Amino acid sequence: MSKRPLEGIKVADFTWVWAGPYCTLQLAHLGADVIRIETRTRPCITRVIPPWPDGKPGGLNRSGYFNQYNQGKRSITLNFKQPAAHEVARKLIAKSDVVVNNFAHGVMDKMGFGYEAVRKIRPDIVMISLSGYGDTGPYRDFIAYGPAQVPLSGLSSLTGYKGWPPMHSGFSYADPNAGAHGAFAIIAALIHRQKTGEGQYIDMSQWESMMALLPEGILQYTFNGEEPERLGNTDPTMAPHGVFRCLDRPEKIAGHTIDQFVAIACADDAEWARVAKAIGRPELATDPKFATLKSRKQNENELEQIISAWTATQRAADVAEMLQKSHIAASVVADNKFLSEEDAHLPERDYWVYKTHPEVGVKQHAGVPWRMSRTETSVREAAPLIGQHTEEVLTELLGYSAEEVASIRSQGALE
Amino acid sequence: MPGALSSLKIIEIGEMISAPYASKLMADLGADVIKIERPGIGDRARTRGPFPGGSAHPEKSGLFLYLNANKRGVTLDLNKSAAMELLEKVAADADLLIHNISPPDMDRIGFNFERFRKINPRLVMTSITPYGVTGPHRDWRAEDLTLWCAGGICAINGGGMDHPEMPPLKTFGDQSGFQGGVHGAVAALGAVMAAMRDGEGQHVDVSIQEALAAQLELFFEFWPYAGLIANRLGRKPIQPVESLQCKDGWIYVCCVEEHQWRGFVEVMGNPDWANEEVFSDRFKRAENWVALKIFLEEWLSQQTVIDLYRKVQAKRVPFAPVSTMGDLLNSEHLKARGFFVEINHPVAGNQKYPGAPCKYGGTPWAIRMPAPVLGQHNQQIFGDRLGLSASRLTELKKAGVI
Repeated sequence: MSKRPLEGIKVADFTWVWAGPYCTLQLAHLGADVIRIETRTRPCITRVIPPWPDGKPGGLNRSGYFNQYNQGKRSITLNFKQPAAHEVARKLIAKSDVVVNNFAHGVMDKMGFGYEAVRKIRPDIVMISLSGYGDTGPYRDFIAYGPAQVPLSGLSSLTGYKGWPPMHSGFSYADPNAGAHGAFAIIAALIHRQKTGEGQYIDMSQWESMMALLPEGILQYTFNGEEPERLGNTDPTMAPHGVFRCLDRPEKIAGHTIDQFVAIACADDAEWARVAKAIGRPELATDPKFATLKSRKQNENELEQIISAWTATQRAADVAEMLQKSHIAASVVADNKFLSEEDAHLPERDYWVYKTHPEVGVKQHAGVPWRMSRTETSVREAAPLIGQHTEEVLTELLGYSAEEVASIRSQGALE
Repeated sequence: MPGALSSLKIIEIGEMISAPYASKLMADLGADVIKIERPGIGDRARTRGPFPGGSAHPEKSGLFLYLNANKRGVTLDLNKSAAMELLEKVAADADLLIHNISPPDMDRIGFNFERFRKINPRLVMTSITPYGVTGPHRDWRAEDLTLWCAGGICAINGGGMDHPEMPPLKTFGDQSGFQGGVHGAVAALGAVMAAMRDGEGQHVDVSIQEALAAQLELFFEFWPYAGLIANRLGRKPIQPVESLQCKDGWIYVCCVEEHQWRGFVEVMGNPDWANEEVFSDRFKRAENWVALKIFLEEWLSQQTVIDLYRKVQAKRVPFAPVSTMGDLLNSEHLKARGFFVEINHPVAGNQKYPGAPCKYGGTPWAIRMPAPVLGQHNQQIFGDRLGLSASRLTELKKAGVI
């Protein structure tokens, strides 16, 4: 295999929590040398919250959250309360192609690493900020938390059961979305730099990159002045289109019964005829109540009851297999246990990563969502221990002698 | 000043969202994108709307118009060998061919990387498919709903503790398509950079299921690390972090840290109940959420969203409005940043659309032309560029090739 696509690209990674680390994870997946700049005086929150191995909390290197989103990166620790740390960061920026941060607007400026300062150190740098609100506009100093960006974006008012209140997406969706859009923007800017020698600054607002995903809602308003209704799991042009309760998992988890569900999406009348046959009710294909999309939408509650009565007697994975054999879109509603242990497809694609981590051993992690035929595609290393690469980066990349590193360390600058 | 990707020549064969969104991200930065659609029918996004005035029309579908501005459009029926030959000619000098043809259809029409590599060794071909082009589910059918479930996201969203009878819930829109698109764009551009370095292209196989399973925040790792199933039924460990109703709309109440709760309590005028022992820390507020919610709802019912938002933000508390579409269009912040853009389309007219996902300091993000009407650039690409005669074009049209 040939060198990875971004081999040789160095990233000074000032990010924390999720949006920024998700961005630099994509760059690490493509082979960039991502160096996370951390501090023990205020560790990344993902290092100190669950999930913990065997449920036993503790330490800065054991959380599954950090260890998922920082695979293949290096970590150095710098305490910016000490001037020597600033000098190290300046040297690192001078050697870097990309600077990434996801602090609120203005924080990098206060640290002395705003774009103007960074550009003086490295004129062709590509720098991106993934802030909640962006660098301009009246709310630019507002504080943004991952979960709040989903309702802010408009997504919550569009998501929910029919007639119910707005619902969340269940995860801080704006974070990985901004991260992925940010990775795209960085590579585009690197291509421009390669052609022209010019770097640039990119102002990414997590709010705006979320609205890029909502044209169907936003355009109902701009075209027709309508606020869209919440539609639950249904779809205006498909029926049946929903998730249906199946047989419970045979085991109970911590006293709770975890129901299994299957998702079914039926795109047209021909598909409906195949669904009707698969569930042993072929006569429903021609039943006037269900024969056309229009009639199925009109009688959707009854339709869903018929499907549910059947799925209640089946295991979700069996329903999905059976309907897929009839070329119908269907899937188990996969939870983390199902993905980890029961999904038959992902292991065959070598999706999961099993690297040895010095403190948690070998744990299953989500890997790279693409494969390349010519260049190496794999996660290089497990996530770094905090400060694992401080010595290595300072001596090998930045050219400090061992004595100089010891001196900087004695000032408390490498905490 | 040309856009950052103005040197790239891209061919997109995309239906609905994934591949079209990936190539939109590039087209908006100046890439020359040629979109290939089925003759007569076109991209299925043309049927999805929303439509101005509500009546369906293939040239007025909002989703299509949003995703395909800045692209030139041609028609080719890739089931026909003459169409595949024309595609090979168009691809001969392209940097990137990006598509979401399903793996069984790829097999059926002989659409594979080897074929294009022979004509253009520099070409990057990116396939964005629901489950990837290998593995036991490669041929599985998918819609957004089923993929959002296969990737593990629906399981963590829905009615929650209070309503276990309600099913897992999908997120609005075709989010699987968008995530396939943006992750596909990242991988494709990475491979384009490698081709610039090595002079050689390659095939990039993007799985949407994998892109979703990589975004489960801390929820996936609960199983491998701690043997815990994460799903929608779990009670939140800390509160308040919920959408709650004000006098004129909904607000997302977000007190993760204790100082944020104290800031909110001050804004509420330090009511006695807020100092009760049962609400004294974020974990107790979660244990006693049912009671707390009643107090909060009563107070919030007298507040307006925007006033409360500004007041708590002044104390560094990260509330946010549960924005309606109208709120977004009327937001003073988004107006000041110029987020929404107007696009004037010959059939659909002049309308406002979501704009740039981020702002580039050195190179422009720009709408240069509206989405193509079906087959708008057949003459320009097949006639002017490939040199096909007028009579040959008529023949191909009659044969249903273009």
